[in-house]
Amino acid sequence: MKKRTVLAIGLALLAALLLAACGGGGEAEPIKIGAIFDLTGPTSDVGTPYAEGEKGYVEWINENGGINGRKVELIAQDYAYKVDQAEQLYSQYVNQDKVIAFLGWGTGDTEALRAKIAADEIPFMSASYSINLADINEAPYNFLTGTSYSDQMVIALQWIKDDAASKGVDAKVVVFHHDSPFGESPVPDGQAYADANGIAYTNLAMPRGATDLTPQLTQAQEFGANYIVIQNVSSPAALLAKNAKSLGMDVQIICLNWCADELFVKLAEDASEGVLGVMPFSPDLTVPGAQDAAKFLESKGEKLEDYGLHYVQGWTTVKVMLEGVKRTLDAKKELTGANLRTSLEGIQNFDTGDVTAPLNFSPTDHRGNDAAKLYQVQNGQWVAVSDYIHSRIEAKAHK
Amino acid sequence: MQSGIFHSSYQKDMALRHTPAQKVRLLLIIVFLLIFPFLADNYYLTLANQIGIAVIGAVGLNILTGFTGQISLGTGAFLAVGAYTAALLAIRFNMPMWITIPAGALMTALVGGLFGIPSLRLKGLYLAIATLAAQVIIIWVVTHWDTVTGGVDALFVKNYLWFDGQQVRFNEFKFYWIIMAVAVLVVMAAVNLFRTRPGRAFIAIRDQDIAAEVMGVNVFRYKVAAFATSSFMIGLAGALIAHWRQIVTWERFTIEVSILYLAMIIIGGLGSISGSIYGAIFMTLLPAFLLNVGQSLGSAIPFMDRIIPFIQQAVFGIVIIVFLIFEPEGIAKMWRNIKDYFRLWPFSY
Repeated sequence: MKKRTVLAIGLALLAALLLAACGGGGEAEPIKIGAIFDLTGPTSDVGTPYAEGEKGYVEWINENGGINGRKVELIAQDYAYKVDQAEQLYSQYVNQDKVIAFLGWGTGDTEALRAKIAADEIPFMSASYSINLADINEAPYNFLTGTSYSDQMVIALQWIKDDAASKGVDAKVVVFHHDSPFGESPVPDGQAYADANGIAYTNLAMPRGATDLTPQLTQAQEFGANYIVIQNVSSPAALLAKNAKSLGMDVQIICLNWCADELFVKLAEDASEGVLGVMPFSPDLTVPGAQDAAKFLESKGEKLEDYGLHYVQGWTTVKVMLEGVKRTLDAKKELTGANLRTSLEGIQNFDTGDVTAPLNFSPTDHRGNDAAKLYQVQNGQWVAVSDYIHSRIEAKAHK
Repeated sequence: MQSGIFHSSYQKDMALRHTPAQKVRLLLIIVFLLIFPFLADNYYLTLANQIGIAVIGAVGLNILTGFTGQISLGTGAFLAVGAYTAALLAIRFNMPMWITIPAGALMTALVGGLFGIPSLRLKGLYLAIATLAAQVIIIWVVTHWDTVTGGVDALFVKNYLWFDGQQVRFNEFKFYWIIMAVAVLVVMAAVNLFRTRPGRAFIAIRDQDIAAEVMGVNVFRYKVAAFATSSFMIGLAGALIAHWRQIVTWERFTIEVSILYLAMIIIGGLGSISGSIYGAIFMTLLPAFLLNVGQSLGSAIPFMDRIIPFIQQAVFGIVIIVFLIFEPEGIAKMWRNIKDYFRLWPFSY
């Protein structure tokens, strides 16, 4: 009896799979964009507001008449940071739903899909800002809306160089990074800059899931570090800041974008005070570019402050992608991935309303910009302490 | 009316297919595999290719864990060895795929055999931890041996057919044939393996290693051989992943992948080749199915949108638990039960 029930369930599952899978087609009208979110995986803490921001922008633009009268349809799912599922969803959205562009999320999926999107001619933007993705030959369809990690690193080092000079000390920098492509991505470019500018520079990997980073910090102390740059996500970065504080280290900590956010301040508590952040996306939610998002959420009875800067980051990423769509439609060209890429490459001096530095794409460079502002935690808030600093490194300098 | 299948000669006992129905089914499967790519779109081809690779890996792991009784948590890392070997040969030496893929498998067999050596002294949970060490060590080497593997950066794999330096552009359709051909070969090899002396030695070791040794089975040799054979197949799967996706990053080969493969063979059926296939199909299609249901539900009931991802995760776990409760011996046993039910009707039991 039991076994028959199982069989019945199994058959029902199979039938439902076929039905669900066949249900995709229809309507050619809306502009279809595919996306994957991390809502349940290891990066869901920041992936959720980012995803909400992406969905929010699409809803907002549809409420405001869509793009040239056409609605935008965001076809998206959680992929829990699993590369296999990212591939399944990508293939489904591109081949069955016929999306013309794709919004990814992490380094894992962005790297894994790099060759596929080039072959399928699908413009791709994600929240991974590795400079490898700006290599036109190897990643011709990837676009970076955020300042690349390498640029962020050089911006941090420029600031360190000036700060050390003004204090009359020798800069000794230790880069603490996530033990992954994401974490190591800016290390070589930082090394090149440090070597050229006489900065003592070394790097240490932060073991995953570590509950105490004192051993690594002791190594940094032995190196004589007076500056620490963190390329990691908020929680381990907060742990590092706390450990450094309890060791009584006299260092200036500088976070690159994935640890410089509201979550870091919340987790590191008073250890976050005085920490600097290189932030390509403004943590100041009152900038003009964040106002549409703020009003949109208000109309839903929600507050932008509850979501934070990652919401605006997701919002702005879709906005840039759809700007390319709009330009393609305005030019009366067929809406294909290849044409969308050309339109995106024509975006010059695109004003994001001070959310990011103005964006420039070109056929030879898919990095939106090389500039970011430095912010500092003061009384639990990120406060701007510099104007846009440009890194001015070449996209391919890392190889 | 039948009450069971009985063999009256050794020849029949050794036969791979015992009934006409099995022969017909095999024929149908072959026809389906040949027609499928012409009817399916790229999405289904992607799924089919994922399944094909999972089948190769799962059969490999089942030889080790299901048939020889040596648990392994290192599948992810062994996949990485195959993938990196194939990728590096293609990138550095412009070698064609028909060399890089077998080379990747051979390299993995070597590494797998090496990590199999502790199995002489270690059993059960202790061996699990030893293979976990393999997982950690191999991934560490892959990410830190910069001069060879390029470190944590992704490798961009080139696909060559010959030594002429001409890169070939493969798509899902073409890879379907490569992956399925390898999968069929692996399955045939595995099925036949257990009709030979080494295969029977593996099973003897699983059932009682001391008894096996008393019977004259060189336990150490065959354990290492099981590791090497299993790793060879897993390495094949890894090498195929490298060429199919054209990108190799270590993030594809984490401990989660090892556990996923273990789940495949447990759900499919330990010690069953067909079980490995069912498990691979099931574990690849279930997430895709749940994602599709979630998508339809999400657009139908908007307020559910935010919790559906969590429900999907929970359902994935629950379905697996339910399957195991109802049939701990896996899908392979379920399938046998269904067949028996109809064949022996009305006098089952």
